Amino acid sequence: MKISFNWLKDYIDIEDSPYDLAKKLTESGFEVEEVIPSVQSFSGVIVGRVDAVEKHPDADKLSLCDVFDGEAKNRVICGAPNVKKGQLVPFAKLGAVLPQGFKIKKVKIRGVESTGMICSKEELGLEKSSDGIWDLEESLPIGLDFYSHLVKQQDHILEIAITPNRPDCLSLIGIAREVSAITGKEVTLPSAPIEEDKSKSIDSHISIHIHDQEGCPRYAGRVILDVTLSSSPRWMQERLESVGIRPINNIVDITNYVLMEYGHPLHAFDLSEIKGAEIHVRKSKVNEVFITLDEKERRLPTDTVMICDEERAVALGGIMGGLNSEVSESTRNILLESAYFKPTRIAQSSRRLGMSTEASQRFERGADPNGVTVALNRAASLIHSLAGGSVVNGICDVYPQPIEPARIFFRPQRVNHLLGSDLSHKKIINILKRLQLDYKDNHIIAPTNRVDLKMEADIIEEVARLVNYSNLPSRKETTIVYDLPHQKTDQVLGFLRRMLLELGLTEVLTNSMIREKEAPYFAEGKAVNILNPISDDMTTMRPSLLPGMLKTVGYNINRHQPNLRFFEIGRIFKHDSNNSLPAQPYALCVVITGKRFVPSWNTAKEEIDFFDIKGYLESFLRKIFLDNAQIFLYDNSSFLNNKEAIAIQIDQKVVGYCGKIKDEVAGIFEIKKPVYAFHLELDELLPELMRNRIFEPIPRFPHVEMDFAILLDKNILASEILEYIKNVGGNLLHNVEIFDIFEGGPSISAGKRSLALRLRFQSKERTLNDAEVNMIFRDLIARTTKKFNATLRK
Amino acid sequence: MHDTIEQIREEFDKDYASVDSPDALEKLRIKYLGRKGLISEAFNLIAELPAQEKPQFGQDLNRFKVDVEKKHEYLLSRFKSADHIFEAIDLTLPGRQPFIGRKHPLVQMADEIKDIFKNLGFGIEDGPEIETDYYNFEALNIPKSHPAREMQDTLYISDEIVLRTHTSPVQIRVMEQTQPPIRIIAPGRVYRRDTPDASHSPLFHQVEGLVVGEGVTFADLKGVIEAFAHQMFGKDIKVRFRPSFFPFTEPSAEYDFNCIFCRGKGCRVCKNSGWIEISGAGMVHPNVFKAVGYDSEKYTGYAFGMGIDRLAMLRYGINDIRIFFENDLRFLNQF
Repeated sequence: MKISFNWLKDYIDIEDSPYDLAKKLTESGFEVEEVIPSVQSFSGVIVGRVDAVEKHPDADKLSLCDVFDGEAKNRVICGAPNVKKGQLVPFAKLGAVLPQGFKIKKVKIRGVESTGMICSKEELGLEKSSDGIWDLEESLPIGLDFYSHLVKQQDHILEIAITPNRPDCLSLIGIAREVSAITGKEVTLPSAPIEEDKSKSIDSHISIHIHDQEGCPRYAGRVILDVTLSSSPRWMQERLESVGIRPINNIVDITNYVLMEYGHPLHAFDLSEIKGAEIHVRKSKVNEVFITLDEKERRLPTDTVMICDEERAVALGGIMGGLNSEVSESTRNILLESAYFKPTRIAQSSRRLGMSTEASQRFERGADPNGVTVALNRAASLIHSLAGGSVVNGICDVYPQPIEPARIFFRPQRVNHLLGSDLSHKKIINILKRLQLDYKDNHIIAPTNRVDLKMEADIIEEVARLVNYSNLPSRKETTIVYDLPHQKTDQVLGFLRRMLLELGLTEVLTNSMIREKEAPYFAEGKAVNILNPISDDMTTMRPSLLPGMLKTVGYNINRHQPNLRFFEIGRIFKHDSNNSLPAQPYALCVVITGKRFVPSWNTAKEEIDFFDIKGYLESFLRKIFLDNAQIFLYDNSSFLNNKEAIAIQIDQKVVGYCGKIKDEVAGIFEIKKPVYAFHLELDELLPELMRNRIFEPIPRFPHVEMDFAILLDKNILASEILEYIKNVGGNLLHNVEIFDIFEGGPSISAGKRSLALRLRFQSKERTLNDAEVNMIFRDLIARTTKKFNATLRK
Repeated sequence: MHDTIEQIREEFDKDYASVDSPDALEKLRIKYLGRKGLISEAFNLIAELPAQEKPQFGQDLNRFKVDVEKKHEYLLSRFKSADHIFEAIDLTLPGRQPFIGRKHPLVQMADEIKDIFKNLGFGIEDGPEIETDYYNFEALNIPKSHPAREMQDTLYISDEIVLRTHTSPVQIRVMEQTQPPIRIIAPGRVYRRDTPDASHSPLFHQVEGLVVGEGVTFADLKGVIEAFAHQMFGKDIKVRFRPSFFPFTEPSAEYDFNCIFCRGKGCRVCKNSGWIEISGAGMVHPNVFKAVGYDSEKYTGYAFGMGIDRLAMLRYGINDIRIFFENDLRFLNQF
């Protein structure tokens, strides 16, 4: 909201500078975002007279002008269409410095020299864009320093962020009241003398009927006859322009002027367009269509408050007037509306219509139902004095159930209880008085313009903000301790993150909103879609971390960073038919691509393969002590290459996948190189990871290791052999691993491979003797070779 | 017999001069100092000498042996150091480096914030990112038609389900589950229907704080935020509270920190004000207590928010929020 400092002074004495006032307002809850002087600093510009204008010999749109500066003639080039002989203009002499720091120098334009510049308002920083040069009043003396002249009328515009709870301050008088509360000076309301024409009665000109009393608790009108439509006086236009309102004609400008003064929206109808001289306030009909004064046809949502005459709708109540009844050049008689509409109804309609107007913004936040006639009279008074016409005697005011000021239970001692302050009873009551809030019998009476005051806490805030938050105490000791059942999620996620970092992976955070078409590759079932997405890129909540991570991989490869080791931890989203909210488990994902080793003069140059990602997976599972994870082959993935994919299972439940991303899927993300990944859903794992670990004593007796190699069919899976040996090995077999694999060569026939196995025997109770170990070893060899139809290699 | 020593010495001198490798040196050692070497053999001659010549010969031979040993040692050390100079690889070449992991800067910032609040006695809570309208708005005293809903443009999954626009719903979930005293923060991801630009991202991260108990006051809120500012940015950083409006707090405040670049003196970053806006806070609104069934006569509380992304941008001097989610390796490697 823009507030003109000079205009504000109409209503209250202000001793502070605009900047000091801005600081005080900010500290009391009205954040002044910017103070903009209307006249910015410039120098070397004087009032000059155009003595001659002729065409530039070599440019159609340029003129050559002689400008007299009081002492000498200056030949200047001017591009403005409105330059005329005899005109007074702001003239920037050579050496002048304009507001943006632009310095006037001698220039040559198409062969002709220009020694100075005739200025527009834009060039002097007074408006955003100008159509031509500034044609000055004839009374100004030639040679007058123009900056010193302008700065006498210097104004400052305060750009104030009004919080939505304070619609009363979307006005000059509202802000003046706040200034009054801060400084203690009195507010002076504008006088509104009305000479009513007693010969005419309002009732013979208009009748008002409210059929939707819930939506419109009060509707009042005045009639003004024989007005003269013209433009409003210059001072009014300037004031409106200074706060960003475009002047239109005297009637509309007056309603806008009063809107700015009181914050109460008004509307002027052309009375001759109100059929039957009747106003009916009703709810919109099903599929009703209406053309607003911006010439747009609108289909009205149900429950819109409509202002109608005998035959048709003439305005959207509290939002915008209709085209059919707007004030035009032919208008002679006016119906001036001032009403109060229910905030929730206006909010609903304006949101559904997608319309936000000066009026709707105020009504939906809350106007003052008891300020209706004050604004109405002020506007009628201004119309009478500025547009002529006679004000018909009386107000037609329909207000069946007057809205009473709120009576709020308030205990002054509660102020200190909530603020931790030590304010005296007297001080508290005095502060409230400055806000026109009277304390009596443990209650505060809040005027109806203060829609934000509903309960004790609201009153306490009033005291706090006027004491100034900076003057309230601060305390660091506390007795409030955290005593909740320990929420371990954050701790466990932190642990997982640390383990991944230790594996040399770099963390990324990707967008949780992805393209709808990406989702089906990574999860079955219906995706969680956004009703009102920002763009096509962000329509769907990720069902997996992979799409975001692959996008990140593509992004980096495209920027010549091909060797990537990334991980992410975050929530993923899936429909949950048993719940109103989607399932939102945490997931963890690792994606790798590029060379196996950090490229260097002495490292091998090979690319990573499946066993690199599997190695990361296994190391990670080992680091997080997930001993019961099982891995099995998986050839039915929508995003992993079926020949290079495995699934990870815990307690018979699949918790994740690992392998090579399908070329087709990588292609969606503009990746042409092999990418490997594993993805784990953590909700199943978290309880496992939260388990306390119990120390297991380190074996006190030496172990025995024995190796053997077998030759067998190469289709037999390594995991099967290891599993088998573990199962039949007995309780002294502590570990078995494959330490060498050999295929081809002269000694191994096609279709076979040689596996070298290392067995470790260990007892917790004693040192093993050779004989017993040998016996078990030979037995195991015999069983294994038999089971897998293998031969023992010597 | 001295001729014998002289003969050996002459031969040795010749051999010695021609040693040009560690191998040749070793041969030299074996020839003269070995068990069956020339010097050993010469010692064997002592037995055959007349008794009066024995001592002299022994002494001379010994002196010669010591001389040979010294010369051998000298050459040996020369070859060793030569080894260093001529056969070593260039140690200034880079070593074999493993891939190194880095934490995302936003996570680093979140961890720092969490550590500070843990030290201030706060627990850490978590809540869903997709929320019901009730938790995100209604229970926080933001009914359907409330103008404050426009303060935060919301992304909807359905009429009643939204992407949470703030971490405040965690307040409600925690209060529903437990009774005071409460002293928690809840960090997490939030969403707004903002078109991405340098200062807006449709997703970003917040930390919510909530303290509820008997006798909790606005002074405690000020104290905690001040303690946080001091731990995060230094003891000289001042905090300023200004009145503001949030539907779920009353009184409400916005709080500013002294600009961390000029320490309050005024600079370009803070537009010469010396202050930088951080976030909002306030005393928990009685309607919020009502929604979770707390007695607002008995309990009071404060809540506050802060933006993780915003603090990270301040700390690292980043001026475009979108860079956090691009994950360019050249960016990530800087933290």
